[in-house]
Amino acid sequence: MQMNVDKEAQAVDPLIFHLTGKQPGSGKDALAGKRPALLAAYADLTRLRYDFPLVLIEGKTAGTPVRSLSSVIDDLLQKIAPPGMESEQLRKMILRIEREIRTLAAASESGHLSELWDKVATRLEQADESFGKSVRIARAALEIDGAVLDCHAGMATGLITHLWSAVQEEKAQKFRATASRLAVKLADILRADYLRSPTGRSAESLSAAVGPAHQALFDFSAMSDLLPKASPREALSENRRRRIESALAVLKGQRFFAPAAGQPRPDQAAELYSFRFDNCAAAISAYRARLPELTELVKAMSIAELESDGAYIDGKHDVIFSGFDAGSLSPHDTALFPDYLITLGKDGASFDKAALMTALSSEAPLKILVNIDDLVEESPTGDGHIASDVRSAQLASLATGLGEVFVVQSASSNLYQLRERLQRGLSFGGPALFSVFSGVAAQAGSLPLYLSAAAAMQSRTFPAFSYDPSAGSDMASRFSLENNPQVDADWTVHAFEYADPQMQRIKQESAFTFVDFLVCDPRRHGHFVAVPRGFGIERMIPVAQWIAQPSDQSSDKVPYVVATGSDNVLFRAIVDERAISAARRCLETWHRLQEFGGVHNSHAERLLKREREIWEEQKRQELASLQPAAVAAPAVAAPASTPAQPAAATQPEVAAAPERSPDEAYIETERCSTCNECTQINDRMFTYNANKQAYIADIKAGTYAQLVEAAESCQLGIIHPGKPINKGEPGLEDLIKRAEPFL
Amino acid sequence: MTLEATHCLLRMYEEHHNLEDYQGGVPRWCTGCGDNAILAAMQRLCRDNDLRPEKTVFVSGIGCSSRLPHYMRTYGFHGIHGRALPVAEGIKMARPDLHVFVSTGDGDCCSIGAAHWIHAIRYNMNMTVVLHDNHVYGLTKKQVSPTSPRGLKSNTTPRGAYLEALNPLSVTLGVQNVSFVAQAVDWIPEVLYDILTAAFQHRGFSFVRVIQRCPEFLPKMFDPWLQDPQKTLLLTHERGLHLSANLAKVYKNQRAHDPLDLDRAREIASVEDPIAVGILYRNPEVPCYEDLRVSGQLRTADYVRTGLEAEFNKFTVWPAEQEKSKPAA
Repeated sequence: MQMNVDKEAQAVDPLIFHLTGKQPGSGKDALAGKRPALLAAYADLTRLRYDFPLVLIEGKTAGTPVRSLSSVIDDLLQKIAPPGMESEQLRKMILRIEREIRTLAAASESGHLSELWDKVATRLEQADESFGKSVRIARAALEIDGAVLDCHAGMATGLITHLWSAVQEEKAQKFRATASRLAVKLADILRADYLRSPTGRSAESLSAAVGPAHQALFDFSAMSDLLPKASPREALSENRRRRIESALAVLKGQRFFAPAAGQPRPDQAAELYSFRFDNCAAAISAYRARLPELTELVKAMSIAELESDGAYIDGKHDVIFSGFDAGSLSPHDTALFPDYLITLGKDGASFDKAALMTALSSEAPLKILVNIDDLVEESPTGDGHIASDVRSAQLASLATGLGEVFVVQSASSNLYQLRERLQRGLSFGGPALFSVFSGVAAQAGSLPLYLSAAAAMQSRTFPAFSYDPSAGSDMASRFSLENNPQVDADWTVHAFEYADPQMQRIKQESAFTFVDFLVCDPRRHGHFVAVPRGFGIERMIPVAQWIAQPSDQSSDKVPYVVATGSDNVLFRAIVDERAISAARRCLETWHRLQEFGGVHNSHAERLLKREREIWEEQKRQELASLQPAAVAAPAVAAPASTPAQPAAATQPEVAAAPERSPDEAYIETERCSTCNECTQINDRMFTYNANKQAYIADIKAGTYAQLVEAAESCQLGIIHPGKPINKGEPGLEDLIKRAEPFL
Repeated sequence: MTLEATHCLLRMYEEHHNLEDYQGGVPRWCTGCGDNAILAAMQRLCRDNDLRPEKTVFVSGIGCSSRLPHYMRTYGFHGIHGRALPVAEGIKMARPDLHVFVSTGDGDCCSIGAAHWIHAIRYNMNMTVVLHDNHVYGLTKKQVSPTSPRGLKSNTTPRGAYLEALNPLSVTLGVQNVSFVAQAVDWIPEVLYDILTAAFQHRGFSFVRVIQRCPEFLPKMFDPWLQDPQKTLLLTHERGLHLSANLAKVYKNQRAHDPLDLDRAREIASVEDPIAVGILYRNPEVPCYEDLRVSGQLRTADYVRTGLEAEFNKFTVWPAEQEKSKPAA
């Protein structure tokens, strides 16, 4: 790759162009057919093994329901062609098939992995017979299948719909298991009642229950007479029977979940509900219309749970269930039922942003995907400045302000990396917003969608972030900037290598800025002009460096970006001030996100600075007080370097028993082993407490002699007779002597 | 899938029980018998954990201790000799929602029921098993049991027992999948209660050996331990027992023991004097058999009937077919 300037671009004054954005004449597109220089290495994506295409796995999966084609092939290679000379040929064949499938997917060929594999394998086998047997072995070992999805315009919709379906299927399985269990339990209650009823115990019923064989050996009439005498006669109350039958009918007639594959729906059940929508108003309307039915279903399930657990108390629960309405449902309850998937902005369709924000604040289980195809546009004021598309690009930031909305923002190129977060959002109990930039608007250029989407993220134009209200109560727990490259930095910086005019290799680092993202979009090429011949290279400053210096600094220099075309020749273009201003605003937006994510947080940095100053001041004062004795003050160490003092080990304070007088009669109740020795001597004097451990309940209920006898018979020696109360009791002298060991 | 509405309703009218709600009758045990202390601790455990009597079942085999289910006002199963554990396993398998307790004696468990005991440890089903170990067959009027000390004179060993006593703790700790082993003595009721509570809260097969007195046939056997607290070693740990100040004042012989340390637990178990009291081993990671074998299959009436028919058919004698198969005379 060589560096070059445009030899034709002589009429433009770079400084004037930078300041005004105007160039003489019609204004030639200096960047036509060019892309940012850092993207030069990605000329042909089909030759790279990266995240795309994806395989949307069908059927039950142990892990995520989506995988990249590369990871599927890697597993296959590990299984049947581990590294080594013996399997090198097979490895090459499989990797060739992978590349061909990637090429087909890039050309918008749709189909399942198995179909694309077979198509590619047949073609390759026709060209080279050696492909045959080995590839069939590999094909047989390929255990997973599903639609192959490349990073094209509908990718986000396809991926999120697939993940949503997986979450809904999981919910359906749980519901079916619970509903079936409850239905069986309720049916059992009714059946048991029938079997205990006179009809159930009639000779005919008993005879039918035994079956045709050996009927002659039984006297079913005698059995019918005998059975009622030997078992309880309580029958179900009419109220309970109606309650159980009603709950059973609701469970069987519900329309929220389809029955398991192969299971028929009850004949009387109406059509199942659909949960996919393309506008918020329709989804909200459907949710409202179905709410009474959902409430009835939750009520029926609650009744069934209580009934099956034997915990339904008519007098108490009847009142509650008679007033059970939509207000009784908790978000936890509604989260167990299907979520409403709303896809907005599909194929560039416009949508109602106000309705979107209303829907997000409704707390209904709505999962909303917003496809964004454009991130920059001319300012609505008509002054020629660039404006971020606040109507779409900032939706995710606005939604985080609603508090209880799960939010994910990402370029489509990064969605596979964020798959677990997407799944978490789809499983979240409340509303969720997925704001995805597809890169479609920039497609008028030569860049594949994957690259233009990735450029939006690399340039901080559309950073990835997520906000998860279920992760904790503070911003540090909820907000995440993970998956953004070089989160600590303003711009992402990448190694860049090229050859100079003398064909010497030059290595340097280059930042990828918002201005580079504009290079990807042919509609914004008016903000660039080629460097005219003779314009000194010392008068040009890279955009990142230009933005880093104060904006009011006057200079005769101009900012530039480096682009490249299909000829791989590097090309410098001067950038106008409007593009630079937009880049500054983009950087400020990124700084705000960094603060949310705890990176360079201004509050934390201020607090740290203040605490450091206080600490340093304290140390100075301490040193000053030691001044007469100290010869030279040692340097003050930073607070962070001070080792933390281990906390002194503290013994928990435990209440000790009060000291007893030897004259007092008492039992160490906590040590009583309930052996009944003392209670058998006098159960009015010695009684058990609530823990069934003995204590002296009434010392006057017995004699001192009984106290002494109990003390002697207690094997644990925990009865202390004390001194006699009745001084006139006979034989006291001897008793006091016997009591001495137990005082 | 649990609805919050149901959960709230269940909590709203949760019944709170008194000790009397679990008392099923007047025990017939001898005065001074350690079974009384175990029964009292069990009833406290049920009350303090608000166990619903209809969701609780006590299973026993044969012996003095096995009368315990009669004195609990819960479901009970007074089984046959040595077979308390298979019955309890069956109950747990069919009704995993029930709290299952097993009372078994040193003869019932360690002699005739020893095979079931070993495999019950290995199966690690979620239940609390209390071995009432008084070192003697009491119900049948004093015969040696597997845990009787060597030299004990009894009706079956008038010249004294010839064999060393079996150590139930060492045996239990030697079986694969062991997950909870503790030892208590009936004369320290506070610790007995704490250990039974820990055993109940452990998910798995909780084996608690309670050394207890038999005032009728071995009235003096544990006197040295009753009279000298130093002969009892209390095992304490932040994940094990915590002693009250009063108890710590009486029983000063204490040692910190981590219940996760199996090797150390085996060492402690092998020492008979002083008697170690506390949680020797607890590993909550061991899987329970009922969880491994859990089936999503619903037991509908048809499913049960089909299964039973299939089983009965294996043993059915069909007279008509027998007639056909008879050789011609």
